[in-house]
Amino acid sequence: MGISVKLDRVLLDRGMSLTELSERVGVTIANLSVLKTGKAKAIRFSTLEAICKELDCQPGDILFFEDEAAAVNAAE
Amino acid sequence: MRAIGKGSLSSILAVGLHVTRIILFIALFGLSIAMIFMPLIGAAGALFSGSDNIDISVGRSDYFDVAYNFIAVLVMLYVVTRLLEILKTLRFGSPFVKENADRFRQVGYALLIGEGAKFVFSFLGLIFGTDIDIDIELIAWLAIIAVFVLSEVFTEGARMKEEQDLTV
Repeated sequence: MGISVKLDRVLLDRGMSLTELSERVGVTIANLSVLKTGKAKAIRFSTLEAICKELDCQPGDILFFEDEAAAVNAAE
Repeated sequence: MRAIGKGSLSSILAVGLHVTRIILFIALFGLSIAMIFMPLIGAAGALFSGSDNIDISVGRSDYFDVAYNFIAVLVMLYVVTRLLEILKTLRFGSPFVKENADRFRQVGYALLIGEGAKFVFSFLGLIFGTDIDIDIELIAWLAIIAVFVLSEVFTEGARMKEEQDLTV
């Protein structure tokens, strides 16, 4: 998928663990792991809002768009 | 009526299907024995053909009947087994999985083979001039189409379930 999640980087910047974030936003660690590892297929606005609120960041700090086709073409 | 648990429709269906499976196994066993011994019975019939009291002749239509019923029972056994597997996933609370879509498709193909066998045996009956009586049922064909539609619904359902599971 073209969207990549950089949650681990933001967590590292804030010095917060996944467990702590899980407790603060009320999302299970399993679900946050799914998000962190890029396996998630969708994210609810409510979840994104809660994460951004707790990490004091913007959605764009967590989610990035990477054009995979362009990256492949550039590599070739 | 509850979907899962004791007294639910799925548990009643599961019991019914288990009983049906046992009956089908017995039928398959009986037909296997018949297939093995029919040539012997035929030979014995030819041996006693002179006697007025004994009539154990085995005709061509008998072979067709046994062969067709053997295939029909095999198809039914396959369908019942697949349905039991589907019901098992329902009991565990996760029926919308890709495996169930595949199982429904397999059931569809099995029923298709069963109905195809009807055509083949009818055709063979015509060729060999046997009096085999096999009807072509429109309802059965509609049921096969319904199973394939159900399979597609389950494919989409499984995809939606996966998406739902991976929505954070």
